[in-house]
Amino acid sequence: MEDRLIEFASVLRRNGIRVSLAENMDAFRALELVGIADPALFRHTLRSTLVKRASDVKPFEELFDYFFLGIGQALDAIDRRIMEELGLSPEQFQQMLDQLQRLVTQMEGELSQLTRALLNNNRGEIERLLRDALQQEMEQSMPDGFRYTPYTRMAARLQLDRVQSEIERFKGMLQMLGENGEDLQNVLRYLDERMRDLNRLLREVIQQEQRKRGLDPKDSSQRAALADKSFAYYTEDDIRQMNEAVARLAQRLKNRLSVRRKKAARGRFDIKKTLRANLQYGGVPFHIRLDRRKKTKPQVMVLCDISDSVLNASRFMLQFVYSIQDLYSKVRSFVFVAELGEVTQLFEANDIQTAVEAALKGDVVDVFSHSNFGRAFEQFYKNFFSAVNGKTTVLIIGDGRNNYNRPNDWVLREIQQKAKQLIWLNPESRMTWGIGDSEMPRYVPYCHIAEECRSINQLYKIVDLIVP
Amino acid sequence: MFQSVNDVISGFGAQKYICNKNVATVVYLGTSLQKPILVEGPAGVGKTELGKVLADALGMQLIRLQCYEGLDEAKALYEWEYAKQLLYTQILKEKISDILQGSQTLQEAVDCIANQDGVFFSDRFLLPRPLLRALLSERPCVLLIDEIDKSDAEFEAFLLEVLSDFQISVPEIGTLKARHIPLVILTSNNSREMSDALKRRCLHLYIDFPDSEREMEIIKLKVPNVGARLAEEVVRLLQRLRKLDLKKIPSISETLDWVRALTLLNVKQLDQELVEETLSTLVKYEADIRKAHHELKAYLAEKQAQRGVPGSSDKDHLH
Repeated sequence: MEDRLIEFASVLRRNGIRVSLAENMDAFRALELVGIADPALFRHTLRSTLVKRASDVKPFEELFDYFFLGIGQALDAIDRRIMEELGLSPEQFQQMLDQLQRLVTQMEGELSQLTRALLNNNRGEIERLLRDALQQEMEQSMPDGFRYTPYTRMAARLQLDRVQSEIERFKGMLQMLGENGEDLQNVLRYLDERMRDLNRLLREVIQQEQRKRGLDPKDSSQRAALADKSFAYYTEDDIRQMNEAVARLAQRLKNRLSVRRKKAARGRFDIKKTLRANLQYGGVPFHIRLDRRKKTKPQVMVLCDISDSVLNASRFMLQFVYSIQDLYSKVRSFVFVAELGEVTQLFEANDIQTAVEAALKGDVVDVFSHSNFGRAFEQFYKNFFSAVNGKTTVLIIGDGRNNYNRPNDWVLREIQQKAKQLIWLNPESRMTWGIGDSEMPRYVPYCHIAEECRSINQLYKIVDLIVP
Repeated sequence: MFQSVNDVISGFGAQKYICNKNVATVVYLGTSLQKPILVEGPAGVGKTELGKVLADALGMQLIRLQCYEGLDEAKALYEWEYAKQLLYTQILKEKISDILQGSQTLQEAVDCIANQDGVFFSDRFLLPRPLLRALLSERPCVLLIDEIDKSDAEFEAFLLEVLSDFQISVPEIGTLKARHIPLVILTSNNSREMSDALKRRCLHLYIDFPDSEREMEIIKLKVPNVGARLAEEVVRLLQRLRKLDLKKIPSISETLDWVRALTLLNVKQLDQELVEETLSTLVKYEADIRKAHHELKAYLAEKQAQRGVPGSSDKDHLH
């Protein structure tokens, strides 16, 4: 049992559930207490000691089923099916098995382990043999792994052909012994079925094993590589994983903020307030008063380019924007291609996926036009510039490719003069800024921070810049 | 202490808390292995209640620590009572000058005072907060650390020491060891992922919304005078509402509130007008109310279609 548990823990680990040694030991101690007789209890015990994350509960349940019930359940099903097919009641079936068993003991020594287990219908033994073979198979990675299927290799390992011939011999013996008609027919059919089922079972077990190993492998190296991959090359699958990363990023922003606010709450000693508070004690300072710095509520205005050329990047940027809006109370979000549209309301009313998809689909602005930064800036100046004040951070996300339209960089100059800071995040490599229709050289001088933001790692760094 | 898993179920049942085998197993393991239990799950499934019921079932005292952003050691562990210390110094001025009488130099005077400082930093002036109270409690107790996810990461790290060794060090006094290891229940709404270090030290329990059978059981237990038909309808509607994409999914406590309200209004079965009037006890956001409204209409229409007769008699109970 110990080995099985340790193996199970490593299966969990392979599937991205973190199980530490301490947790494994807890599981053992807990099982000592409750025993392993009650299946439900066993399952609950393992779950509460090994799995510590609500999101891991479901994978755990699945793996538990594969691992502990897999072969046993399949064997149960086979028994039931054979019984049905032969039209026997459970008692008759048992009788037949007993008969077989007597014969097998007479033949002691001549049969291989697996054949004997099969004829005796010894489930535990069959299961053990299959699992041992699997274990050996997995441990020795075969050099010719590509030439043979796992099934072929397993069949060779289990010596299935020998089992087959032994069964045939056994059948021949039965006929020689001259059992009476119908019973004999039943027994022969039973043996055929058993053999066929063994094959099917083997296939199933291999499949289970592969699923066990392959079920959503969370490869850490793969994820790290993803963090450096440019947004432009993301596939659907990457996008799903990246959503998680953005969520973590937002969390990080939040944590940084909470630390900063806490520090701010400590403050310096305030003599005036302390004296006033302690007048009732005759000036003896019972209660110390500190001057609390005011919590500055950052006001952020985000302008995000959602034109086709930066589609993948803007998807993440919009998620990022959504997270920012979740975090600060005063955030106004805009998207633009040629026209500028406000999405603050949209983001507030919907969850992240719907909101981002709606913004990208063109519910707010026409996404099929050519991007025109100058026009969008002009509209921003006309309609929203009055909302910018000395506390506002303006964040512009886009590649600055203006299709040779009027750049209208004077808007940025106005913003720079009025706002607290102006930040530009560009999903293009810095090398290409200014080449072709990129107006970046014109815009950059007005930005307090202008950074290339092509991957999640760069985004992390920028978060550190924005929230010092 | 509990002897077996079934013992837990019956013990909790006596406190009017219905728990499934999963919950009972974890509670049994937690109490027997003396490990903290980290309870997660959506709001309002009875996480906090679990701590309270555990204390009641074992006849122990419940010490509760509510976490919030900015909670620090002084609020959670202990604090020196400055005011009391100062007051004592003022009152004991004469005694202090007695002590100082013999000394000639400033150095000697300081030494004299230093010999006495144990008086001022003793248990007498130590104001124990929930964590310390739980550790120093004369009898075993249940420590409920509520909404641990609301606290800062630093506080969580500090909690690690307490939860693994059940001792804390007060610099002025030394290390205080727990007289009895308290049963610790931590609850979390998952607004923040707990650190792995903390999770490693705890047993994990995820409580989800109950299935309809169990919810029915809970309603009947908590609101004994509810009509069987009403309870059944409420549960069926609730299970449907929870499948909707709501900002805040109606929890068990809200269900109970609603059922209580409906029983108070002497309602025997659901109808549109009535439900609309009381829907605000169940669903708390404007957008959610709108969605719930739609679902409700669909539900009532289905119900009517099933019965095949227009529900004109429904209004009878309203006068």
